[in-house]
Amino acid sequence: MKGYAKYFSKKLVWFGITFFAAFLLNFFLPRMMPGDPVAAIVARMAQGQTNTAGVQAIYEQYTELFGTNKPMMTQFFIYLKNVIHGDFGFSFSQYPRTVANVLKSSLWWTVILQFPAIIIGFLIGNVLGVLAAYLRGWYDKALMPLSIFASGFPAFGMATVLLVIFGITLNWFPTSGGYGFDMIPNLSWAFFGSVIVHYMLPFLSIVLIAIGGWAIGMRSMSIYELNSDYVKYSRFMGIKDSKIIQYVFRNAMLPQITGLALAIGTMVGGALVAEIIFSYPGLGTTLLSAIRGQDYPMISAVTLIITMMVLFATFALEILYGFIDPRIKATQSD
Amino acid sequence: MNEVMLEVNELTTKYITRYNEDIYAVDHVSLKVEEGKTLGIAGESGCGKSTLALSLMGYYFAPLYYTSGEIIIDGRNISGMDPDIVRKSILGTEISYIPQAAMNALNPTRKIINFIEDVYRAHDVYKTKKEVYDLACECLNILGLPVEVLQKYPVELSGGMKQRTVIAVSVILYPKILIADEPSSALDVTSQKMVIKMLRDLMKDGFIKSMIFITHELPLLYNVTDDIMVMYAGQIVEKASAKEAVFDPLHPYSKGLMGSIIVPEQGLRDVKLAAIPGVPPNLKNPPPGCRFAPRCKYAVAECSLSVNLHNIEGGRAYRCIFSESELREYYKKEAEQYARK
Amino acid sequence: MKNTLKQVFHSGKFVVGFVIFSFIVLTVIIFPLIIKTDPLGIISQGSTQGSFLPPGIYVNVYDSLNTLPYTLMLDDAAAKRIASKLSPDDRTAIKEWLVAAGVPETQIDSTDTKSLLDLWAKNYDPKKQIPGMTFAKTRYFQRLNTSLQGILSTEGVILATKNAQTGALEQTDTVAQSDYVNASEVPNVRLLLLGTDNFGRDVTAELVSATGTSLLIGIVAGLIATTIGLVLGLAAGYMGGVVDDVIMFFTNLLTVIPTIVILILISYSIGQEKRGPVIIAVVIGFTAWVWTARAVRAQVFSLRDRDHVSLSKLSGHPVWLIIFTDIFPYIASYVIMALILQISTAILYEASLSILGLGPKTTDSATLGLMMNWGFYYMAPSLGKWWAYMPVIVVIALVSFSLNLMNTGLDQVYNPALRE
Repeated sequence: MKGYAKYFSKKLVWFGITFFAAFLLNFFLPRMMPGDPVAAIVARMAQGQTNTAGVQAIYEQYTELFGTNKPMMTQFFIYLKNVIHGDFGFSFSQYPRTVANVLKSSLWWTVILQFPAIIIGFLIGNVLGVLAAYLRGWYDKALMPLSIFASGFPAFGMATVLLVIFGITLNWFPTSGGYGFDMIPNLSWAFFGSVIVHYMLPFLSIVLIAIGGWAIGMRSMSIYELNSDYVKYSRFMGIKDSKIIQYVFRNAMLPQITGLALAIGTMVGGALVAEIIFSYPGLGTTLLSAIRGQDYPMISAVTLIITMMVLFATFALEILYGFIDPRIKATQSD
Repeated sequence: MNEVMLEVNELTTKYITRYNEDIYAVDHVSLKVEEGKTLGIAGESGCGKSTLALSLMGYYFAPLYYTSGEIIIDGRNISGMDPDIVRKSILGTEISYIPQAAMNALNPTRKIINFIEDVYRAHDVYKTKKEVYDLACECLNILGLPVEVLQKYPVELSGGMKQRTVIAVSVILYPKILIADEPSSALDVTSQKMVIKMLRDLMKDGFIKSMIFITHELPLLYNVTDDIMVMYAGQIVEKASAKEAVFDPLHPYSKGLMGSIIVPEQGLRDVKLAAIPGVPPNLKNPPPGCRFAPRCKYAVAECSLSVNLHNIEGGRAYRCIFSESELREYYKKEAEQYARK
Repeated sequence: MKNTLKQVFHSGKFVVGFVIFSFIVLTVIIFPLIIKTDPLGIISQGSTQGSFLPPGIYVNVYDSLNTLPYTLMLDDAAAKRIASKLSPDDRTAIKEWLVAAGVPETQIDSTDTKSLLDLWAKNYDPKKQIPGMTFAKTRYFQRLNTSLQGILSTEGVILATKNAQTGALEQTDTVAQSDYVNASEVPNVRLLLLGTDNFGRDVTAELVSATGTSLLIGIVAGLIATTIGLVLGLAAGYMGGVVDDVIMFFTNLLTVIPTIVILILISYSIGQEKRGPVIIAVVIGFTAWVWTARAVRAQVFSLRDRDHVSLSKLSGHPVWLIIFTDIFPYIASYVIMALILQISTAILYEASLSILGLGPKTTDSATLGLMMNWGFYYMAPSLGKWWAYMPVIVVIALVSFSLNLMNTGLDQVYNPALRE
């Protein structure tokens, strides 16, 4: 473990800096645009241009909480303090719910969908890629065009196609929601089953595209590795092909894991839109209704949460990589 | 007379290119290596020496294909054997191979000791980890390598150390024949010396029974080998003992090759470097007859008809239509002309 | 160069992708020249849920009545007419009713229309109670009976107009069952290949226009992103040191922070009013350059220490000359591949933004993403109005697929090891 200290601390420092920068970006970006949306909305409220007193109350609370009538720097620290306490204010569009309250449920739904989907898509895609590189022949010729097609497909495209074919035409799966409309979340098998059934299509739309993308990349990496000197030498020392594939897989996976860390941001983005197509009760749908409802605090909070999620995942992957690649540990100890 | 470890008869192997063309990189090659002897194979880049080395192993994979000929290792004919049997009982145990630029030959994410364990297991030899470790240590000790190497990853070793480790791994199963393909080309001079010494010790201590040493570095040949075989464009053009090949070559190509060795000595400044003009033929369409003819000083029209390997006394052979005396005449005239200048 | 081009066009994948892409581009350019319809023009009115006219050839009924008819005697005309009123389900239902009413099953042949209808006419009694039949079913049979009245008659229809003075109907014309009009003689015929969308716009024209706009956004954004990536990559790779550190810092930052988040924030902040297609393209371009910068930088790194570069340095060539003549030709292949990739990603980003509702202004022009957005917002999938969104998906997929194919083809040309 000691050998990793340098590696870990470097990664941790980097993580901290990025975290902070993302936070800054999330705060300043909207406020820097000409026509500060917050100020605009709030100003409109102050002039009493909406008719519901309740709505006015929200806006006033927001001003109160985040101090939009104060100078920018003060606003920032107030914001920081509030976020640490998990207080994002009231949701403009779902009053009287607070933003934090809405997010607590959506976030959970998104995590249980995207996290396994991305990982499973990654693993299956990589295995298929290695097999394509090794077996060649018809398997390779069949897999390649399919993968190119699947990987280029946008997530919402796949989502729509699956929705139409399996949800609407064949009616095998429900077309929206996270669970049956008639159900209340509880810990029963019936509920669980309903969740699974609603889960399948969004899950598949993410997984199928991921498989396509990773298969292509892994195939290239594996071909490269299969042509390398150590594979030739191992073969001449009598090592069986099945063992050789293990070698190649291990060595080609390393850059793929780095690739995954880089690609998570994009994958999550695509998956969010897929969620919207299915009205899946995750962050995607929340974001959509927030945008439609001009719910600024919600938008700001959702984008922040998404960024944090991706950051954590990237960081976790980098740590994992340090454990898996023996060269990291080896070069640390001298 | 020593036992013949390796006997090769008219071995022909080919590459099949993407456009389905056949390239006969090894064309009817025959050779014999006896126990305790080292055979050197010399020739320029692209003449087929590395392909020959790969072909001798008996294990072929695309795009290299076996066409015809026999490979007999210690009395056992391995040509045409089932690849899986070759893999388990021939590769590494009977005949072993040290690749060129061996520093890249080790899996970067595997410890040396783990790789050695894999090698044992691949040959259906089941030993405990401790047994493998002990055997490996024993081997390294004999070869003069530090035991710590076993627990390291290739990235932690220097170039010369990696090369020697690869040699150790190649002989760990005590093969009868060791093929060393340019073992020292990629190293600095000091490491080169260590590697050569290691190889010679392997022979001397009986670790391996015979060796084939492939190189394009001619100065090494005389010091390391007992017999030399010169290859050109996929064919053998001369076979002789080391001394004869270096100091008294018969084939015009061998003569040119040996003549291009620079020996630092007095008067070198005034000596003109002899170079052979031209380039080797494209093996897709090798010229009929003697393949060296287009570049040969002494070529005549008949050279384009087929030319065979002539065997002469003392176990020598060469591939030329001229007789031994004719060739010696030519060379004598050359030398006199040159001396006169 | 020529050799590379030859190889490129020999690559099967590249050619297929190139052909598809060119076809799309050509369609986008040529279509508006031939068919002059306003892509955003509303041509059909609808209910609150949108009009969604299905695809088909729309013939103006009024005009066809005023066009000279021709008589055609077609054998299957009557059968087709009946079939459109009497679906197979209806036939089964009639058979069931008849059986329940006591008609022996062997006498009923649901495929023989005439005999079936004869039996029906003879036996059907709207007041007859069939045990076990729901009220809805009873009503169904009554409606069916009404619609079947006169289905077998061969009488035509009478046209009448109101007399301006007396207000009474006067017969002007008759229309026989064997009257056909030649559609090309009817003045107002409109082919709606893909029907209309929720607003009532011709989907075909809208789709072509939207593809054009999306492609434009993609190309502009792609060019911007590739240029930025190229410049930054070159700077970071060649100059190294502090410049490299700073650029890499920002690159890493933008990699980890999902681009879509930044796009959402910027788009939202710009506000609905200011969001034209070009602005969106610019925004996407300024956020999507990361991958290109990284790839260029890596390549420049490996080139930097090569002998020919050192030679140039020793010869005293200025930095810009070295970059231009010694380094750039080697990364040209990367740059082209990066450009294609960026165009593809930019189009997808625009689509994602539009689906979220943060795309270009909806009143200005249509884009592929916006059409998707409208389709979903107005419940097209659930209503079964596939023409409002499926063609859009197909086009998006084709564009993306063709660009990807081109890229893979190029990749195989530049990396021979990957060839089959």
